[in-house]
Amino acid sequence: MIAWSSVTLDNLYIQDEADKAQQQGCISPETREAIRQAHPVKLYMPNIFTRVGLFILTCIVIAFSIGFMTLLSISADGGWTGFRAILIFAALLCIAALEFGIHEKKSYRSGINESLLWSAIGLILTGVIIENYDIPPTAIALLIFGLTFLATLRYADMVCAAAAFLSLLAVIYIRLAGPTDTWLPMFMMAPSLLMYLVATVLVKRKALRHYSNCLTLLQILSLITLYLTGNYYVVRETYSIAYDMTFEPGQRIPGESFFWTFTVMIPLVYLFLGTRKKDAILLRTGLILVAMIVFTIRHYHSIMPLETAMVIGGLIMTGGAWALIRYLHPPKHGFTYLASDEPGMADKLKVESLIIAQTFTPATGPADPGSPNFGGGSGGGGGASGDF
Amino acid sequence: MNIDTFSKLQKEGLISDEEMQRITHTENTRLFSLHWEIKTVLYLGVLLLSGGLGILVYKNIDTIGHQVILLFIALLCIGCYAYCFRHRPPFSREKSESPNAFYDYALLLGGLTFVTFIGYLQYQYTAFGTAYGLATFIPMVVLFATAYYFDHLGILSMAITNFAAWLGIAITPMQILSQNDFENNALIYTGVALGIGLVVLAELSEKRDFKKHFAFTYRNFGVHIFFIASMAGMIIFENYYGYWFLLIAGGVYLTWLRAFRDRSFYFVLVAVLYGYFALSTFLAHLIFNHLDETIYLAFMYMIVSTVGVIILLINLNKKIKQ
Repeated sequence: MIAWSSVTLDNLYIQDEADKAQQQGCISPETREAIRQAHPVKLYMPNIFTRVGLFILTCIVIAFSIGFMTLLSISADGGWTGFRAILIFAALLCIAALEFGIHEKKSYRSGINESLLWSAIGLILTGVIIENYDIPPTAIALLIFGLTFLATLRYADMVCAAAAFLSLLAVIYIRLAGPTDTWLPMFMMAPSLLMYLVATVLVKRKALRHYSNCLTLLQILSLITLYLTGNYYVVRETYSIAYDMTFEPGQRIPGESFFWTFTVMIPLVYLFLGTRKKDAILLRTGLILVAMIVFTIRHYHSIMPLETAMVIGGLIMTGGAWALIRYLHPPKHGFTYLASDEPGMADKLKVESLIIAQTFTPATGPADPGSPNFGGGSGGGGGASGDF
Repeated sequence: MNIDTFSKLQKEGLISDEEMQRITHTENTRLFSLHWEIKTVLYLGVLLLSGGLGILVYKNIDTIGHQVILLFIALLCIGCYAYCFRHRPPFSREKSESPNAFYDYALLLGGLTFVTFIGYLQYQYTAFGTAYGLATFIPMVVLFATAYYFDHLGILSMAITNFAAWLGIAITPMQILSQNDFENNALIYTGVALGIGLVVLAELSEKRDFKKHFAFTYRNFGVHIFFIASMAGMIIFENYYGYWFLLIAGGVYLTWLRAFRDRSFYFVLVAVLYGYFALSTFLAHLIFNHLDETIYLAFMYMIVSTVGVIILLINLNKKIKQ
């Protein structure tokens, strides 16, 4: 199913673990070298700069190739059908190139892979949808789901996994959203909650270890969608847009108190559970969603002027953080303020997937090393370790 | 660390029992770090607080008065610098470790408030009159001195930016393309000279062994400014594009050599991409402007050449790794 050999991916994981163990001084460099020898990884995995460069260049190649083919087809005059055929053909070429790169060149997360995969999906979708007004929305959403789901299975791509989940939610929403239905938000919560529970179980399954990144991303996303389906602002706006219900300011929506409770409580529940279970995903998602509480409340009740709210909020946050640092100075209850001594911790806690989940854009922004990166600690500005 | 993985490795005889014990011990005693979370909250809190206070001051400027604000900024700046003087590590030509995380931020705040102070003074009271250069020159000198004396890369970046501003160029990453008027010929020459100057400074830092770790920052700014300015020159001075191309080719060659000596893939990538762009522009001038029916040719060129660059990058990556 997955495109790379399972042994190679396992070896990659083992090497990463060995690196971490060595950096923490648990094993000697010789041991690490022995592990690397015994579990070789033959994959082409360029560094981040090359990755970004290759991604951009591949996108350029694809764009110009399609342009070239279109130019040729204009002289052949194939009309929309011809154009459609070109797009689908280009998508197939992309997939072929992707498979070739993986099998022959062992390309893994190289920037080229992502570019080819996303382009292929985009091209197929454009080819089907363009100038075609008869397709029902459900079919489009189902098509996106099908393509991205297959892509996730084969290439374990996180962006595809996210797109698959969101398109599935869209299918459910379109099917359920009949005439005025006050129970719609409740029905929409179920799939998100289910997704979170399923992903939480599956992420521990050994058979699915190569998909753990995708599943972690799904956990985060489903927590967020679960909250959004019950968020007062989202519900109220959906009602007024989708059902043409006009609410006067101050007018109550059906189930008003339930949604307000939900809006305020869920992030706190996430935070509480995250602290209890020491689960970074719940904790961080909860932290992000606290901002949603503030936004939702302020959108309907302007209690105080913005600047006063900012000052008070800032004081509470700064003071709270300061107090926590003080409180955790000798670590308590298994929590510490000290930076994790495990260098790969950022990987483990899936900062990458968190960022993707927040912005929903492929992380391709070139990490511009020119921007002053005012780091703390030893004052590392400008990405200036100089050894990339 | 995954205990299962390591116990498998232990069974394979790759790690000793003692190492296994150490791993199990580390894993079992590891604490859950809230570092990232607390730092984010702290950062957001400071952001909100300063933003809120800023708006409050702005709205009540009539009752507060400019002098009070200036005084406040000055006190903040002096306070930060005083703290840093008290806690600074002894000066050395090498990289010196900062005593604590707060020290770095205090220094940064000190530098920022100093720039704000001078800017405020000039804007509100035109303290330097029409000698606009002074309003950027003084912060530049102070920032460079601070960067070298206290050893702070963030301040160094600010100082370089200020240096460029003094010369009339915006070089912050977001503004380098949008804020500069490339039609202005003098600006292009200044840019080229500034770029070369910064690269020379980088070389000097390394050769003279004086704050060696500053070299990357200098070189990074210098290389980008040089290439962007000379690229603009090549496009604007159409009649002399050949000379500009030679200049860029020389720059690419030197960057390339240096990057290979330092095994820095970042600068190899920079050299390849700027070189490719310059070569394409050069060819466009040389060939495509003199032909009819060039659109097919141009498309073919783009496709083939980009694939070529991709293959080049892949091979270079392997070469540098060895």
